[in-house]
Amino acid sequence: MTDSKKKWQEFFGTLPSLLWLTVFFVIPTFIVLKFAFHAKSPDGGVAPGLTLETWRTISNPNYPEIIWRTVWISAVTTLICVLLSLPCAYCIARMQKKWRAFVAGLIMLPFWTSFIVRVFAWRTLLNPEGFLQQVLIWLGFADQNTMLNYNAGAVLLVSVYSFLPFAIMPIYTAAEKFDFSLLEAARDLGARSFFAFRKIFLPGVKRGVISAILMVFIPAIGSYVIPDLVGGTDELIGNKIYQRTFGDRNWPHASALATLTAFSVLIPLGCVAWWMKRQDEKEARRLAEATARRLSGGTA
Amino acid sequence: MKHSKFAIIVLVLVLLFLYLPIFIMVGDSFNADKYCGKWLGFTFKWYGALFSHSNRNIWMAFERSIIIAITATLSSCILGTSAALAIHKWKGRLQTFHYSLIYTPLVMPEILMGISLLMLFTAIGLNCGMWTIWIAHTTFCVSYVTMTILARLQDFDDRILEAAYDLGASPWTAFFKVQLPVLMPGIIAGGLLAFTLSIDDFVITFFVTGPGSDTLPLQVYSMIKHSKQLPVINALSTLMIVFTCALVFLSRIVSSYKKKGRSLTQLRTDIKGVK
Amino acid sequence: MANEFLVFDHVTKRFGALTAVNDVSFSVNKGEFFSLLGPSGCGKTTLLRMLGGFERPDSGRIYLNGKDITDDPPNMRRVHTVFQNYALFPTMTVWDNIAFSLRIAKKPKEEIEEDVDQILEMIRMTDHAWKYPSQLSGGQKQRVAIARALVDRPQVLLLDEPLAALDLKLRQHMLLELDAIHDQVGITFMYVTHDQGEAMSLSDRIAVMNGGKVEQLDKPTQIYEAPRSSFVAAFIGDTNFFDGEIVSTEGDYCTINVYGFAQISAYNDKKLSVGQKVHLSVRPEKIRVTLAPPPPEKGAGINVFQCTVSDIIYQGVYTKYWVKSSDRSISALRPHSRFLLDQESITWNDKAYCWWHPDDGYMVENFSEEDASLIHPSPPAQKPKGE
Repeated sequence: MTDSKKKWQEFFGTLPSLLWLTVFFVIPTFIVLKFAFHAKSPDGGVAPGLTLETWRTISNPNYPEIIWRTVWISAVTTLICVLLSLPCAYCIARMQKKWRAFVAGLIMLPFWTSFIVRVFAWRTLLNPEGFLQQVLIWLGFADQNTMLNYNAGAVLLVSVYSFLPFAIMPIYTAAEKFDFSLLEAARDLGARSFFAFRKIFLPGVKRGVISAILMVFIPAIGSYVIPDLVGGTDELIGNKIYQRTFGDRNWPHASALATLTAFSVLIPLGCVAWWMKRQDEKEARRLAEATARRLSGGTA
Repeated sequence: MKHSKFAIIVLVLVLLFLYLPIFIMVGDSFNADKYCGKWLGFTFKWYGALFSHSNRNIWMAFERSIIIAITATLSSCILGTSAALAIHKWKGRLQTFHYSLIYTPLVMPEILMGISLLMLFTAIGLNCGMWTIWIAHTTFCVSYVTMTILARLQDFDDRILEAAYDLGASPWTAFFKVQLPVLMPGIIAGGLLAFTLSIDDFVITFFVTGPGSDTLPLQVYSMIKHSKQLPVINALSTLMIVFTCALVFLSRIVSSYKKKGRSLTQLRTDIKGVK
Repeated sequence: MANEFLVFDHVTKRFGALTAVNDVSFSVNKGEFFSLLGPSGCGKTTLLRMLGGFERPDSGRIYLNGKDITDDPPNMRRVHTVFQNYALFPTMTVWDNIAFSLRIAKKPKEEIEEDVDQILEMIRMTDHAWKYPSQLSGGQKQRVAIARALVDRPQVLLLDEPLAALDLKLRQHMLLELDAIHDQVGITFMYVTHDQGEAMSLSDRIAVMNGGKVEQLDKPTQIYEAPRSSFVAAFIGDTNFFDGEIVSTEGDYCTINVYGFAQISAYNDKKLSVGQKVHLSVRPEKIRVTLAPPPPEKGAGINVFQCTVSDIIYQGVYTKYWVKSSDRSISALRPHSRFLLDQESITWNDKAYCWWHPDDGYMVENFSEEDASLIHPSPPAQKPKGE
C-alpha cells in the first residue's frame, strides 16, 4: 500500500468521530468558556464585547459557599464510597467464581433501574412519614421533629448510594486480578491481617482505587438531581447552573459556573495524573536501586 | 484471613443499603396511601392508574425514550466502531489527539455537556426537540462505546487479518468476515451500555429537550416535582425493575442456549459420520 | 531456468536506519523444502513477509514461477502463510477456517466440501471439524493452520516458526508430520526458524542468514560439516575454534601452530600454503576425552593433548566435557553406551587426554571474533546451556 493511500484511509477512518466530537463537544465547550467573558443581554442572550463583570459578581460570598459545599460533599462522598468498596471488593474477589459473578450482578442490578426513580425512592424513604424515620424513632435515635430530608446530610447519603457501585466495580476488577497468595505469604511471614491488607492488598488495587475516585468524584461535582430532590436549601453548583440557565436566563453566569465546575474536576484530575506518574517513576527508581544493590552485593 | 468477618459484614450491609429503597418502593406501589407514608392496605389501583388514559403522557414519553435510545445506540455504535478501529490501527499524533477527544467527555461532568450543547443549539438557531436529544445522547455515548470496543481490540490479534489477506480476502472481505465477527461482542456490549445510558439520562436531556419531547426520566421528574401521583411512579418503577430483571434473566437463557447451539453443529458431524 | 521456481533478485528492505534484508539473491526449486535459518533479527521473517506480500522491498524483485510478484498485494498471490501463533479465525469452526480461501475463490459448494473433508482426513482432524479454535490443543491448531493454508493448493507454503509455541515432545511429533505432509502434497515449503535442529531434519536446503544477508546456502550436511563462515559454524551446533598459522604442509594435510596452544595437524582441503592464517573449527562430538592415551591402532598423526577435566554436564543423550589444556578450554561430547571399552568414569579435575583425527577439523573462511563469542569457549558459570 502506498503512503498517500494509507494517509487517506486514516483520514476517512478518523473523520466521522473526530468531526462529530469537534462540532458537538469541543466547539460547545469553547462557547461556554467564551460566554463567561460576556455580559448578559436583556433578551436573555449574551451581549457582544468581552468583560470580566461576570467573574466579579461570582466572587461574592454566596457563590464560594456553594462551590465549597459542592467540593466537600463530593470529596466526602468519594471517601465513604472508597472505604465501603474496599472490603466489598475484597470479599467478592475472594469468593468462588460462580458466586463472584452473581454478587457482582447483584450490586449492579439496582443501577439498571432508573436513576431518577432511585433518588425519588430515597426521598420517600427519608420523609417524616417514611420508613427510615419511623425506624429511627422506634430505636430512639430521632423524634417526630427530626428532619432527615432536605439538607446536606441527605444529599451526602443519596450521593453515596448512587455512586457506590461505580466505586465497587473498578476496585473489584483490580482485586480480581490480585494474587491473594501474596496475602497468605505476608501472614506466613508474621504480618497481622490489617497490616497485610494495608501494605499488600491496597497497593495491589491502587489503580482500581484511583479510577473509583474519578468515577465517583466527577459525577458528584456536577450532580443536579440529588440536591434538587433531597437537598432543600443546601444547593450545589449544579442547581445554580440550572437556575442561571433557565430560571433567570443569565447565561454568562451559568457559563462561568460551568467553567468553574470543569476546573474543579480538571485540577484534581491533573493532580492524580501527576501523582501516578511520580509513583511510577518512584517505583522504577526503587527497582533500579534494588537491582544495583543486588548486583554490587553479588560481586562483593 | 480467607474469610474476613469484617469484610463480609460490610458487604451484607452494603447490599441491604443498595436494595432498601427498592424494596420500599415496590412495597409502596401496593400501598393504598396516596402519600406513601403509613401502610393503609394492599391495592392494585396505582397500576390501574398507570395504564389509564389520563397517564398516557408517561407512555408517550416512554416511546420517545425508546426511539431516542435505539437511534442513539445505532449512531454511537457506528461512530464508536470507526473511532476505535482508527485509534487501534494507526499510531501517531492525529490518533493521540483523537483518543484524548474521545476520552475527555468521560471525565467531564454531564451538566457541562448539557449546558454547552444547549448554548451551541441556541447559537446556531436549532430548535430543541427529539433531534437535539438524539445528538446529545450520541455525543456522550460515542466515548463509552469506543472505550468498550478498544478494550476488545486490545485482545485482537492483527495477524488474523493478515491471515485473511494471505488466503485471498480483499480488505473489505477481511473486515466483514473476520474482524467484525470478532469485534461483535464488544460492539454489542458497547451498544447495550449506550442504550442503558441513553434511556436513563436525565441531566443532559434536561438541558436540550424542547416542548413536547420529554423522555421518560424527564416525565418522571416533573411528576415528582409537582408531587403528582407519586404512587403511580412507584408502580411504574416496579414494572421497570421487573422488566430489567426479566431481561437479565432472558439474556442468561439465550447465552446458555447458544452453548447448546454449538453442540447442535456437533450433532451434524455425528450424523455425517454415521452416513 | 526450469528449476528456478522462486527467485529473490537483489532484495533489500530497510526499516528506518536498520537494514533488515541486505541485497539478498537466491532461488528455490519447485517442490523443495527450503529453510531460512538464523537468529532473531537476522531478516528471515522480513524476507518471508516480503514473499507473503505484507512488506514491500525497497529494491530488488521477487519472481514466482517466472512472474514478477513484487508489487502484488497478499490476496493476489498464490502464496499462503502458516503464522507463528496460527492466527486461526476465532469466530469460525475448524471446518469454516479451512474452507475460507475456497469460499473467497467462489468455488462450487460440492468442491469445497470435498476438498475440506479430504484435507481434514489428511491431518486427522475430521472428528474436530465443528470445534472452535479455542477448543483445540496447540498441536491441533497447528494442523488446522497448515490445512487452511494448503487447501487451495498454493504455489508456495510459508511457515513462520510454526513449531515455536509447542512443547518439545509435540514439536518432535509435528516435525515428522510436517515432513509427511510435504511429501504428500509436493508443494514448495519455505520454512523460517531459529532452531537449527528443525531446519536440519526437515530441509532439502538451508539458507543461513545473519545481519540481513545469506551467509551460506547449502544442503544440511554441508552446512554442518563444511560451514563457510565462523557464524555458520558457531550458530549451527557448537564448535571449538583454533586460530593459528600454517607452519608446514605434507600432502593433503598441514600443521597449524595455534597461538598460545600447540601444533595441530589438519586436513588441508583448501590447499593453503605455509604462513597463511587459518581458523580451524572442531566440533565437540569429534573430540574424544579418555583417561588413558589413545591406543596406537587408532592411527598415527592424530591430535592428542593432555588435559584436566574442568566441568562435566550430563545431558541424557550425551555428556558434555570442558577440559583445559595449556590454558585453553576445549569442549567435547561423548554419547553414552555401556558396551564401549573406553567408558571409564571421568570426574572433575581428572588428568585426561583429548584427541581427534585431523580429518575432523574444518578450516573456516570468513572469521569474526564476534561470531566466535557466540559459542561457549569455557563452561557456563551456573546454568547448563539451554536447548
